[in-house]
Amino acid sequence: MSGPQRTGGAGGNRRAVVTGLGVVSPHGTGVEAHWKAVADGTSSLGPVTREGCADLPLRVAGQVHGFDAAETVEDRFLVQTDRFTHFALAATQHALADARFGRADVDSPYSVGVVTAAGSGGGEFGQRELQNLWGQGSRHVGPYQSIAWFYAASTGQVSIRNDFKGPCGVVAADEAGGLDALAHAALAVRGGTDTVVCGATEAPLAPYSIVCQLGYPELSRAAEPDRAYRPFTDAACGFAPAEGGAVLLVEEETAARERGADVRATVAGHAATFTGPGRWEESREGLARAIAGALAEAGCRPDDVDVVFADALGVPEADRAEALALADALGPHAARVPVTAPKTGTGRAYCAAPVLDVATAVLAMEHGLIPPTPHVFDVCHDLDLVTGRARPAEPRTALVLARGLMGSNSALVLRRGAVPAEGR
Amino acid sequence: MSDQLDYQVTVEELSALMKRTAGVHVDPITLQQQADDGFDTFGLDSLGLLGIVAELEKRYGLGLPEQAERCKTPADFLALVNGALKTGV
Repeated sequence: MSGPQRTGGAGGNRRAVVTGLGVVSPHGTGVEAHWKAVADGTSSLGPVTREGCADLPLRVAGQVHGFDAAETVEDRFLVQTDRFTHFALAATQHALADARFGRADVDSPYSVGVVTAAGSGGGEFGQRELQNLWGQGSRHVGPYQSIAWFYAASTGQVSIRNDFKGPCGVVAADEAGGLDALAHAALAVRGGTDTVVCGATEAPLAPYSIVCQLGYPELSRAAEPDRAYRPFTDAACGFAPAEGGAVLLVEEETAARERGADVRATVAGHAATFTGPGRWEESREGLARAIAGALAEAGCRPDDVDVVFADALGVPEADRAEALALADALGPHAARVPVTAPKTGTGRAYCAAPVLDVATAVLAMEHGLIPPTPHVFDVCHDLDLVTGRARPAEPRTALVLARGLMGSNSALVLRRGAVPAEGR
Repeated sequence: MSDQLDYQVTVEELSALMKRTAGVHVDPITLQQQADDGFDTFGLDSLGLLGIVAELEKRYGLGLPEQAERCKTPADFLALVNGALKTGV
């Protein structure tokens, strides 16, 4: 805890705001490359070409191409970590740079925490070492196997590399855990920590990891990139997985202002529920309750929501449940509010998917543009899904939704810039 | 036996091992000059040293003393490892 360094008063006055974004997505590395593709409605879904994956029945995914971890991260961190942590380390540096948060801004190592979410772990690294174990013997397993493939690896390595010793945590709670990680970061800020590096990155496109996913009935096995992931349509046939993710710099509002940072968005409300693995019909009630809880914490009415970033699983039953959950929680506003799912152009990177949505939501509010939902045209639900091209708008309040294959439902309310006092 | 002379780990080899197994780049001349500095000053952690021990054990086909992975400096490490290789323990 930051103790004497805290600047924004205690308890209820401390607000968690977003001051920096770091993105490694199938659209590209860096916020600009990602946003350009998202705003244009282009898709980066394509064939799975990573080594050893050619003969697996997963045909289409969102791969991160041209990512060179060595550009931002030293070898000694790269040799002991999996690709998912490479993404996290790189995205963290991007987020810190984006927020212009440098060494001089760190009052004490204990004033900066790290919270990440992970659902896939370091499958590529783990597979390599397990093959060494069973192919050559235990002497051939490197010691970094003891840390690299665990969900906690990214939080630990981001903390070690940057000397961030504040409250650290890992959320292992399904896809929805990406939003829960942001809630944990906001909680740490309210509890006295001025700065939290927060996000999720995943690298599930390695043979072992893909085999683990083949058991999911929700996984799309379509072979055509433009047909693999089409939520909210009659042609919905599951989701395409992805790798990559995003890291955000979350700061206490007053502390951010005192160091001259731009307050880009406020983490205004969050709630999470659990309705059981694969029980998509029940997710309607769970998601509706999460939305209501998040709006209540944010002090928002349903009508305040200017844009919804949908979970958009791409399974007919789950899509229907999500549309109904929005109607349950938002009333008649559910049919009017623009809804989007830019993840149909990237695929779902498990825990990282909703964090990438949060980063995209911040950019959408800043650019006054609601990005479209690639590959989706004929919507078969009572939703105003933004399709085709981006829609100019002035969104000030975004609702981001996420559900996990194992039954978690989360909702996060994000407000543009700082929230005026009466809105609190 | 004369071939025992081959069973010696040089500073150059240690430098190469640090680079390959732990991603820590220290050139042999620096490593020689600072052989009494702690491994941590070069950025090599305990797991990194463990990886180097495992690599040497594979290379020479024998187990090194347990203290090897607890050595604090390159000088201590080379002395211990080369002593063990000489006696063939």
